[in-house]
Amino acid sequence: MMTVLSSHAQVYQGQTLVEPRLIADKTAIVPGKPFRVALVLKMAPGWHTYWQYAGDAGIPTEIKWSLPSGFGVGPIEWPLPEINLQREADILTYTYGGEVMLMQTIQPPANLKPGASVELKADVSWLVCEEICIPGKAVGLALTLPIAANAQPAHAAEFQRWTPRVPSVDPPPFSIAWSRSGNQLTAKVSPPAGTTALDFFPLPPAEEQIGHPSVSGSATEGFTIRIEAKSDLRGVVALKNVDREQAWAVAAAPSAPAPPASAHPSLLAALLAGLLGGLILNLMPCVLPVISLKIFGFVQQAGQSRRRIALHGFAFAAGVFVWFLGLGFLVIALKSSGAQATWAAQFQNPWFILGTATIVFIFALNLFGVFELTLPGRATNALGEAGGREGLGGSFFQGMFATLLATPCTGPFLGTTLYFAFVQPAPITLLIFGSIAAGMALPYLLLSLQPGWVRFLPKPGVWMERLKQFMGFPLLATLLWLLYIIGGQRGATAIIWVAAFLLLLGIALWLYGLAASPTVKPVKRVLGQLLAAGLVIFGAQFFLLDLFAHEQAPGAVPIKSGGIEWIPYSEAEVKKLRAEGKPVFVDFTADWCLSCKFNERTAIDTAAVRAKFSELGIVPVKADWTNANPEITAALQRFGRVGVPFYVLYPAGKSDAPITLPELLTESLVLDALSKAR
Amino acid sequence: MKITLLAFTLLATAFAHAAVEVGQPAPNFTLKDEAGKERSLAEFKGSTVVLEWFNYGCPFVHKHYDSGSMQKLQKAAKDDHVVWLSIVSSAPGKEGHLTTAEAATKKAELTMHSTALLLDEDGKVGRLYDAKTTPDMFVINGAGVLVYKGAIDNRPTPDPASLEGATAYVSNALAALKIGEPVNPSVTKPYGCSVKY
Repeated sequence: MMTVLSSHAQVYQGQTLVEPRLIADKTAIVPGKPFRVALVLKMAPGWHTYWQYAGDAGIPTEIKWSLPSGFGVGPIEWPLPEINLQREADILTYTYGGEVMLMQTIQPPANLKPGASVELKADVSWLVCEEICIPGKAVGLALTLPIAANAQPAHAAEFQRWTPRVPSVDPPPFSIAWSRSGNQLTAKVSPPAGTTALDFFPLPPAEEQIGHPSVSGSATEGFTIRIEAKSDLRGVVALKNVDREQAWAVAAAPSAPAPPASAHPSLLAALLAGLLGGLILNLMPCVLPVISLKIFGFVQQAGQSRRRIALHGFAFAAGVFVWFLGLGFLVIALKSSGAQATWAAQFQNPWFILGTATIVFIFALNLFGVFELTLPGRATNALGEAGGREGLGGSFFQGMFATLLATPCTGPFLGTTLYFAFVQPAPITLLIFGSIAAGMALPYLLLSLQPGWVRFLPKPGVWMERLKQFMGFPLLATLLWLLYIIGGQRGATAIIWVAAFLLLLGIALWLYGLAASPTVKPVKRVLGQLLAAGLVIFGAQFFLLDLFAHEQAPGAVPIKSGGIEWIPYSEAEVKKLRAEGKPVFVDFTADWCLSCKFNERTAIDTAAVRAKFSELGIVPVKADWTNANPEITAALQRFGRVGVPFYVLYPAGKSDAPITLPELLTESLVLDALSKAR
Repeated sequence: MKITLLAFTLLATAFAHAAVEVGQPAPNFTLKDEAGKERSLAEFKGSTVVLEWFNYGCPFVHKHYDSGSMQKLQKAAKDDHVVWLSIVSSAPGKEGHLTTAEAATKKAELTMHSTALLLDEDGKVGRLYDAKTTPDMFVINGAGVLVYKGAIDNRPTPDPASLEGATAYVSNALAALKIGEPVNPSVTKPYGCSVKY
């Protein structure tokens, strides 16, 4: 390698402080195809330049491109900086020492003529500090590339080294829940296993003075991030484990409660489903034979008094309700006990979906009879005795314990319901459990009012076992839906890894079921259980931690987080909408633009913003610049922009001037802007 | 041990921050000026006071002095009977440190119109006010209440060209005080070099 000291080097008292150069990741420009360029800054030992948020002092490096017409450039991808705390002065800065590479994507126009060459020029300015600070700049730093039909990778090692240091804009694979009290923002983070340290890098709005972030806690008990800030901000969470450091861009904003408008129809459906589910529970093999026995028991105890029989029925139903509501309260208590507090946000988290899928699969196998759930014998006996008492109290306890004793059959449903209930707000959780209880208690109530109707009960028989088996299929259908979500988050291959893990899990459960049979010798039983455990551990390690964990969301597939129905950009369409007097929001974005994706995920395609769109009738238009598009390039240039992200809101009415939004968005900022649409 | 240390740090931070909130009385201090004379904030009660953290070696400070804009602001303040205290918190041996004699020379050389150039070698006053950068600016009203803290303007760069068209926060704050209007914004993020404690 030949090193040439460029004429742009910053020299101070005979020492070269900073050497800037530009590189590209391709040997040539292919018309219309985006490629990456990078500003490499090499600092003298002990000297540092600054991150996009410099901290208490210093300023970020600036790059101003002068590109030929039709070219566009994306935002700077800033690698994770070093945390530089001068303890005695309490001055915190975010810096790069040694060398840093600031990458950007360049979008060339499609009409370039192969054979010619293009000069990409940039004016770069930076501040480099050791004990003292010296501003530096390089005017007209240039990179010349030929135009060709094909290009080979270039500087691959450098790009590969720095790219992983740029924070990911995917949802982090762990839970992080922000809350605010006055100016104090607090986040609870439950990091994945193996994490050794956590750092938080704040990205406050321009000119806003914030406090120093503090991080406490540990990987086992979870981390707490605290930061003093008046407005919501963005930031980067970095996790270290034994061999690497990974970072994710996050919005440090307490999550706004989802608007309740859309919750009602689904709540009604959930309640009906709960009621139906409760009714079906009565048809399970462990439950149905008991119903008529119980009713005859009530009749015997109460003599011929219809009133007494009805009272017994109500007491029994009350027992069922207490049991289910107890479960509901348990879920709520678990949810609010800190570690689980963030489950509500977790349907975006592939690991949460994976956990749900695993549980649903286990229960389906249980219903198919691959293995049995058994309550410990002693517990069964003790409960049976307590419930054996006579009188109304006895009926009440029987209601509770009949429900508990039916767990071997009802467990799969209850488990699944419990799991989903975790992601619901507390009142909804209670309502759902209440409706299951109502469904389950309904036959007892009816029959205690009309004991004669016992003859309408279906006769117990082998059909009950078949029904139980059949109920495994709806669970498998649920599993399909969960796999579909995983595919949306991590791609089709991720589905295969999960399915492979589930296959091994299925074999393990089958072995476990065989080993649990009473005729099996103890030695063989232990061997079978060990083998089963080994299979599960192997499957989890290989298919989940090694393979699934490294699947990334497919870049080209738009994120369909249930979200906004974007209209593709065309100038004619925007003109037409504005002529109709409609407010229009245009999102200039590209798949290769990380900030664009991050803004969309955290500040645009959110429940509150979606609600605002529909409330004000704002038409969302997406100008997707992933591939060269002269119409979009022209539109950007009319606003004096050469790149994305860029956001324009045309308020209702033709004459109003368009409102432009900054590059870095927070949800509150977007909501504020949208409220000016009418 | 770790917990105690953490609690102590938090407590210390809380104190440090509590001392310099806008809307709260500005804490008093006493420092020697370029003539070796002791000056304290209390002696200026009744006047508007500007505190300017100063380090002649910092490129951000250079931007404001080389262009003459800082001197102009100081002169305008002086004409309005506003007290201007430039404070050096650089430790001995660090960039920007001045002895009493050097301070007098520097003040004359730059034609500073400050009421006094104060020397804070041990950084006590800098830490009391939680000054992070040079130039970090504070404005205190006649009642001794802090009404502004933060940057001198909205252009956090050492580039002299940035002075053109900048929003001059300190100048605006003084103008607002003069006509009895509230200062807005009252807190901004100071920019510049770190204070060389």
